Amino acid sequence: METWPVHASGAATTRQKLREHRARNRLSRQGLARGFIGFACAFSVLMSSCSRSNKSSADASASVTIQHEILPQPVRVGAATVTLKLADAAGKPVTGAHIAVEADMTHAGMSPRFADAKETASGLYQSPLEFSMAGDWVILLHVTLPGGKKLEQQFDVKGVRPN
Amino acid sequence: MRVPGLGRLFRWRYARPVLQAPLLFVSVVMILHGLFGPTLAPKNLATTLSWLHFRGVLVLVLLCAGNFFCLACPFMLVRQWARRLFKPRFTWPRALRNKGISVGLFVLILFTYELFDLWSSPWWTAWLIVAYFLSVLVVDGFFKHASFCKFVCPIGQFNFVASTLSPFEVKVREQDVCTRCQTKDCIRGRREPASDLVTIRGCELALFQPSKVGNMDCTFCLDCVHACPHDNIGILSRMPGTELIIDPLRSGIGYFSRRKDLAALAIVFTFGALLNAFGMVSPVYAVERWLGRMLHVSIEAPVLGLIFTFFLVAEPVLLLGLAAWLTRAWADKASPASQRALLPQAVRYAYGLVPLGFGMWLAHYSFHFLTGLYTLIPVVQNAVASLGQPLLGEPRWTLTGLPANVVQVIEIGFLVLGFAGSLVLTYGLAEEDSPHSSLRVFLPWAAVCLILWTASMWLVFQPMEMRATLMSG
Repeated sequence: METWPVHASGAATTRQKLREHRARNRLSRQGLARGFIGFACAFSVLMSSCSRSNKSSADASASVTIQHEILPQPVRVGAATVTLKLADAAGKPVTGAHIAVEADMTHAGMSPRFADAKETASGLYQSPLEFSMAGDWVILLHVTLPGGKKLEQQFDVKGVRPN
Repeated sequence: MRVPGLGRLFRWRYARPVLQAPLLFVSVVMILHGLFGPTLAPKNLATTLSWLHFRGVLVLVLLCAGNFFCLACPFMLVRQWARRLFKPRFTWPRALRNKGISVGLFVLILFTYELFDLWSSPWWTAWLIVAYFLSVLVVDGFFKHASFCKFVCPIGQFNFVASTLSPFEVKVREQDVCTRCQTKDCIRGRREPASDLVTIRGCELALFQPSKVGNMDCTFCLDCVHACPHDNIGILSRMPGTELIIDPLRSGIGYFSRRKDLAALAIVFTFGALLNAFGMVSPVYAVERWLGRMLHVSIEAPVLGLIFTFFLVAEPVLLLGLAAWLTRAWADKASPASQRALLPQAVRYAYGLVPLGFGMWLAHYSFHFLTGLYTLIPVVQNAVASLGQPLLGEPRWTLTGLPANVVQVIEIGFLVLGFAGSLVLTYGLAEEDSPHSSLRVFLPWAAVCLILWTASMWLVFQPMEMRATLMSG
């Protein structure tokens, strides 16, 4: 532990004050260094947790492929239909999945759209979707597979045109 | 400062760090979430807070109170800590003591915002915040006083210009007290008599309170308030905008009428407001595609550069040049307006257009803020849940904000307010310029105001379209 001189009364000389000032500076430097180390530790913990969660979702999605199609083309503001085709690693249709469709604009603050896709044929799912504004959209698919396994996938719908 | 509670807080020496600390915490969270959180802008704190809530709150606080963001600026808190480690040695170069760099950076930020679609990228938004922190540390690490705030910071310049229309100002209560004052602590700083060490800093932006006029260059840092031994400086109410029609010698600034760089800042502020809003509506894409075809280019940067040059250079030169020429031609022959060259004429009246620009910024930013007001709630819920425990509940993504048709009425209100403000200011300038032919002198500037206001109203009624791929489709 480091100590520094303390004067008893207010009658300190300039030299004493400067010494104190330097000592305070040293202490604040140590405080800053400790703060920085703490921040770096928190930073690396957060980084590692993020990379772990990314990996698990990638594993889950690797076994199932999702093909998508939006009609009508070109996509305009208003109603559209999203068709999704789910297949496993062997190319067999995945039936009985639950797919929640979420459409977000690329700008924050815009109203997202939600819909549930219904299975219309073996491994084929369809969902109505309302594009409320022109611009770039991102479609998020929250898929729950028959075994309860969950996966998420997203794809872009660029340049939805105004009516 | 006499408001119970608030007055006591602002008079407290550590008021600024206490206000800065929460914003620094939020900034760090935004950086971390921007770099490591969801990549989708509406789900990320960096993009949601930066492009929705920060900008909206900023303009509304500037309109209703004053430059309180600069007071609580988190970048300055980091700078204060850094200055404990190393003291700056240099003074800001004389040749750069103007708004040149900051106007350039202001334009650069507007340009990169459009070119790289910063609103849609949490990662780039986070790096922008990091770059801001680093710039503050580098500039104020080398140069003394508040060089970054006064000569570099683009957000600061935005706040300085907008706060000329704020209802509050940091100023002296009684001039007589300042006349009798021997120590001038508000500018020199309060010092210990024995050692001459500065214990409370004076104004770092070279604004000497007794001759300070208005809010330009004032960061509301309250150093002068704390340094004044007579408690003669406070945050006082005033008539918004009056500082734009008077032209006294201002401490730390000089005469507005001789500051071409300040006029350029006012012009970029005003015309940039329209340009920034234009980038968010459908017609901009048609213009870009047309320009791309004409120039046989498929890259966005040169086309965007051309649009920026038109809006920020050609249009102001044409409109203000024509108005300045007509002012000179129509003014009473004995009046100063008839003698003035075109450039000083345009410089003088450019400040009168600031309310129009502020009206557009208010309309644009309040639209995003109010229509997406509650979107912060699910984003925070999601961020907390991603740490392991949904302590704030499952994210309610259906929460948005006020209906767009309600917000549109508010937008129109801001535009009308800005238009009225600009008409009042330019008429005030014309009346002072040429009392016998004030209406004729005012007419060209009223026409400029009307053109800009009509353009603003047209923009508000255009369908919004936020697209990153401007040149395609």
